[in-house]
Amino acid sequence: MTLTLPRRSRARTAALLALVLLAASACADDGPAAGSGGTVKIGLLASLSGTYQSVGKDIRDGFQLYLSGHDGKLGGRTVELVVADEGNGAATAVPAATKLLKQDRVVALTGVVGGGSVAAVYPLLNETKVPFVGSNGRPELKDVSRVWHTSYLSDEPGEAIAAHVRDDVKGSVYAIGPDYQGGWDELRGFTEAFAAAGGKLANPDGKTTFTPFPATTNFTPYFARIKASGADAVYTFYAGGAAVDFVKQYAQSEIKDVPLYAAGFLTEGGVLDAQGDAARDIYSVLNYSPDLDNAENREFVAAWKAEHDGSPTTYAMASYDAAAVLDRAIAAAGDDATPEKINAAIGQLGQIASPRGTWQFSPTTHAPVQKWYLRQVRQDGRALSNTVVGDLATVGG
Amino acid sequence: MPVDPYVVPALDGVAYGLLVFVAAAGLVLCFGVAGILNLAHGTLFAVGGYTAAALLDGSWPSLALALAVGVAAATAAGALVAVLLTRVAAAGHLTQALLTFGVALAGGSLLVAAFGPDDPPVRVPAALDGSVAVAGHRYAAYRLVFIVVAAVLAGLLHLVVRRTRAGMLVRAAVDDAEMVATLGVSPAAVRVGVLAAAGALAGAAGVLGAPIIGPGPDTADAVLLLSLVVVVLGGLGSTTGTLLAALAVGQIQTLGVALAPSAAPFLLFAAMAVVLAVRARGLATTRTAT
Repeated sequence: MTLTLPRRSRARTAALLALVLLAASACADDGPAAGSGGTVKIGLLASLSGTYQSVGKDIRDGFQLYLSGHDGKLGGRTVELVVADEGNGAATAVPAATKLLKQDRVVALTGVVGGGSVAAVYPLLNETKVPFVGSNGRPELKDVSRVWHTSYLSDEPGEAIAAHVRDDVKGSVYAIGPDYQGGWDELRGFTEAFAAAGGKLANPDGKTTFTPFPATTNFTPYFARIKASGADAVYTFYAGGAAVDFVKQYAQSEIKDVPLYAAGFLTEGGVLDAQGDAARDIYSVLNYSPDLDNAENREFVAAWKAEHDGSPTTYAMASYDAAAVLDRAIAAAGDDATPEKINAAIGQLGQIASPRGTWQFSPTTHAPVQKWYLRQVRQDGRALSNTVVGDLATVGG
Repeated sequence: MPVDPYVVPALDGVAYGLLVFVAAAGLVLCFGVAGILNLAHGTLFAVGGYTAAALLDGSWPSLALALAVGVAAATAAGALVAVLLTRVAAAGHLTQALLTFGVALAGGSLLVAAFGPDDPPVRVPAALDGSVAVAGHRYAAYRLVFIVVAAVLAGLLHLVVRRTRAGMLVRAAVDDAEMVATLGVSPAAVRVGVLAAAGALAGAAGVLGAPIIGPGPDTADAVLLLSLVVVVLGGLGSTTGTLLAALAVGQIQTLGVALAPSAAPFLLFAAMAVVLAVRARGLATTRTAT
């Protein structure tokens, strides 16, 4: 296909550029550190353009919301936040991260939407020894000694809801999801925990049905198969445009009365507005909901709504927490806040108070051990909203 | 094998196929008549889709308004592409493809800048926003009505190409452009007219098809790809061939996926490869028979 050619050559140009930058800055000697004047430089890398820009902007805004609520300071030091555009993935993320780490010499990096971008930036982090407090994408990584995440691992939503679905649904459940790494992880988390809890899949071959991604825009044929399988409920994970198509078509399909359970991204953020009434009553599992009743969340939601339309998403919340993590770690690192000291301090944080409820880093995966919530799309004033209807398992580590 | 579970996918395949037909017919006209591979064709569809998302509010007048505005906007965009192409009309397909691909990229970015990166919601008229019983199955009411409307559109297009003077000129230009020129008709005028008409078709498909293939950053690429497949399958210069190819694409994308979900990623292109291997000129006819 000729259409892929420019994209590929763009990737090649980006890789070449990254190489040149790498070579140019390889002779730099002393490591970055917080300036003596009390300022500290933090790099935020997120998709401000491209497919994931709504997620990227939530991540940027979540971090800035924390800063503006704390006089622009983290750990008592004035923060110079350097924002860079991750674009659509690794090809644009690597040059942007190279600039942050080697030219701006930030003491810590945060953000990053895509798991692929994290994997591509990972060697740079090892080379520069800068800690990374990611707020979304999290691929498989060999060594996480300098990598932390305030989000979740992709198989955790399914793992957290599986036992509830097993108890709630009297019968078999059809598992369906998109055919890419994220989809495989999300669905595997569910099907493994579901089978362990004694649940039975309705899929004819006992395996999850994966739909081509992102090519699938018409789900009607899959709905016909779900109908034919006699499933009593459906579990799925889709995000973005696919989530809108899936939910809208589901609501007008033959299986519109079959209960739908999903990883929370199916109805999170902007997609819920696009789905409208079709999303009503869908159950989803996520580590956050704007209506959680705790002091941190009330403060967070109020501050968010003062600056933005609508409620904050889990993406904004995770980035807000990344700022909170850095706030405490930089304070703990003392006067000479080097990347090494900040990284060591993150490992000693213990419990972290957050809008999602209290959580802590797992000592093995460096991702949160956190509570997951069962939510249902319900009317909230004039708009539809993901309303918490119960607590699910605490998962992580 | 029980037939029952496949009734809805088969019906949906007709809706999908007719949508692809209306979208692809414009591209076939462009390629067959003007000899232009208009890679911005999907973007014209997206223009219609975004118009629908912006103007539809669940009432019938808003649908009429969206259809009028969407068709006008896409027609204008199609004519603009034709004007841009004037200077490179003789420069060969690669130059044209590069130019129109550039227009597609720029147009896509403009649409995202104007309407945002998310897929905007599309509200169909309230009376059609539900499902109806068809042979004991539930099926989306809008899609059922869409089948009728698109079938009428397809019939009208066929009549225009077969019976009107404009259609005759278009068919004549397919057969022998030089002879048409010697008859005193400017090939450039035919080209602008055809690209504008193709834009109108894409715009109409974009507005009416928005609830089926919704507007979004990926819509233009998806529609362009489907249209190109239809061009390859159906051959050029034949509305019948285009219709058959579009209906086949629809069934492959719905019934085919329902029958063999594990093969879903490559069903469409496998079918395309088979058709090319067996009949390089396309499914239905040769260039001359319409």
